[in-house]
Amino acid sequence: MANGTPPAPGLTFPPETFAKLTPRPFLQAHLQHKDSIRPNGRRPEEVRKPTVNTGSLSYSNGSAVVRVGDTAVVCGVRAEILLASDIPHPPNGDADAEHLLEDLGLLVPNVELSTGCSPTHLPGNPPGILAQALSYRILSLLHVSDLVNLQDLQIEYTVPQTDDDLPDAGPKTVVKAYWTLYIDILCIAMDGNPFDAAWTAVIAALRDTSLPRAWWDPDREIILCSPLEAEASRLRLRNLPMASTFAVYSTSSPLKQRAHAESWVLADPDGFEEDVCHESVTVVLSHHMDGKKSGILRVEKHGGGIVDNVALLRCVQATRNRAGEWCAVLGIT
Amino acid sequence: MGPEINHHPLSRADGSVSFSNNLYTILAAVNGPVEVQRRDELPEEAAIEVNIRPVAGVGGPRERWLESVVTAVLRSVLLVHMHPRTLIQITLQITKLPTQKLRGAWKDVSVLPALVNAAFLALADGGLPMQSTVTAELFTISEDGEIHASSAEGDLSACTGAFALAYNQHGEMLMNESAGNFSLEAWEKAGDTAAKFC
Repeated sequence: MANGTPPAPGLTFPPETFAKLTPRPFLQAHLQHKDSIRPNGRRPEEVRKPTVNTGSLSYSNGSAVVRVGDTAVVCGVRAEILLASDIPHPPNGDADAEHLLEDLGLLVPNVELSTGCSPTHLPGNPPGILAQALSYRILSLLHVSDLVNLQDLQIEYTVPQTDDDLPDAGPKTVVKAYWTLYIDILCIAMDGNPFDAAWTAVIAALRDTSLPRAWWDPDREIILCSPLEAEASRLRLRNLPMASTFAVYSTSSPLKQRAHAESWVLADPDGFEEDVCHESVTVVLSHHMDGKKSGILRVEKHGGGIVDNVALLRCVQATRNRAGEWCAVLGIT
Repeated sequence: MGPEINHHPLSRADGSVSFSNNLYTILAAVNGPVEVQRRDELPEEAAIEVNIRPVAGVGGPRERWLESVVTAVLRSVLLVHMHPRTLIQITLQITKLPTQKLRGAWKDVSVLPALVNAAFLALADGGLPMQSTVTAELFTISEDGEIHASSAEGDLSACTGAFALAYNQHGEMLMNESAGNFSLEAWEKAGDTAAKFC
């Protein structure tokens, strides 16, 4: 006889369903395995290798596309002119020279996440806390790393000698305008760790940036630029800092005994791991191009108390060990 | 001279404190647990919202970044599982800046310890359940390798690195925001000094 009733549904799910229903136990089961492995198949200390393509945007002064696993970021650098006569409180001599880049705001990074890069970032929304925090972190890092040389951004004019000048006084150069770099970072796909991808894209795009030859025309009283590529000049970056982010997964909870907690530090977290981990560590090491000794530029750690000085040191060491890879990725010999 | 703390200056907030150290004065107010917006609701824990208001203006990306750091630190201090599907709202108003204009990374890092300490004291004043205490402090390394705790303005202008560190009563490091250009050894030394200080 025909059996019309379908068989009873099984009580096993595919791994994807298990991950959706109970993400924390799913990650924990993977990490507690005797060879700790993450759901994405990487070991806890393994990072995704980024691929960088520069110069793809033809209308930008510099551009880079960075892919780190499923996270993809496009960065375009556009240079605009700021006339010295438009500055309300012009800088006076050498006193403020060190801080001009920051005071005049000559570097303007902006991270755009509302591009539909993930279901949580729908297009058309104003930047949320994550996008604003990322933009600010990148701005702060650009200034503290001192990588852009202010000289590269100055458009100078040598004032011709007139009869009134003393005969043996040297030629006087004044800065007539500055180049302002608008660094737009768009995230086109988000699978965790947007900061590292965005920072790599910024460095690669700045390395690719070329500024046209510009000069002050005294008769027309405007800045003129040469369209010839041969006359354009590249930015001389003094420092190429490398950034590394880690997420910490811990079973500790105020409801359990402190000694029973287990934790793992996961390098380069992906989207799934980021949702489940609360504590994160970001380490930025400087990589000077002019022979100065490289040190730690920035450390950011918050969200929990698992990572102590010893673990932080391990993170710094791990980042340092990747210096060779970093140079290879950016195409530095 | 240690920091100055003024308890419960605001009578209408659940908890409030006015905290001033060598550099900044922060007025912190806490409300909670209060009703939460549906979209911010978390099923098993309390949502934490931190609002930071600078001395002048409403604040921009910098304040949003500071808020994300302070929220992360406070999440590891508060007992969020005690009040699921509620909101703990913390407002931090900076009322006094240091007289010398700070720039860049020093500006970012120097305000964090005051913000964390003020928020913690306001939470305690409001009687919110917490799993640990937290103490934050600013340390600077001067050019000759000396570490200064509770740095004042003079220390900041002549330092190579500034660190904002927070520890809880078990000695666990809850926050570490460092900036500057320093060597590994200097940083390790700073960490050890900070652990003993806190």
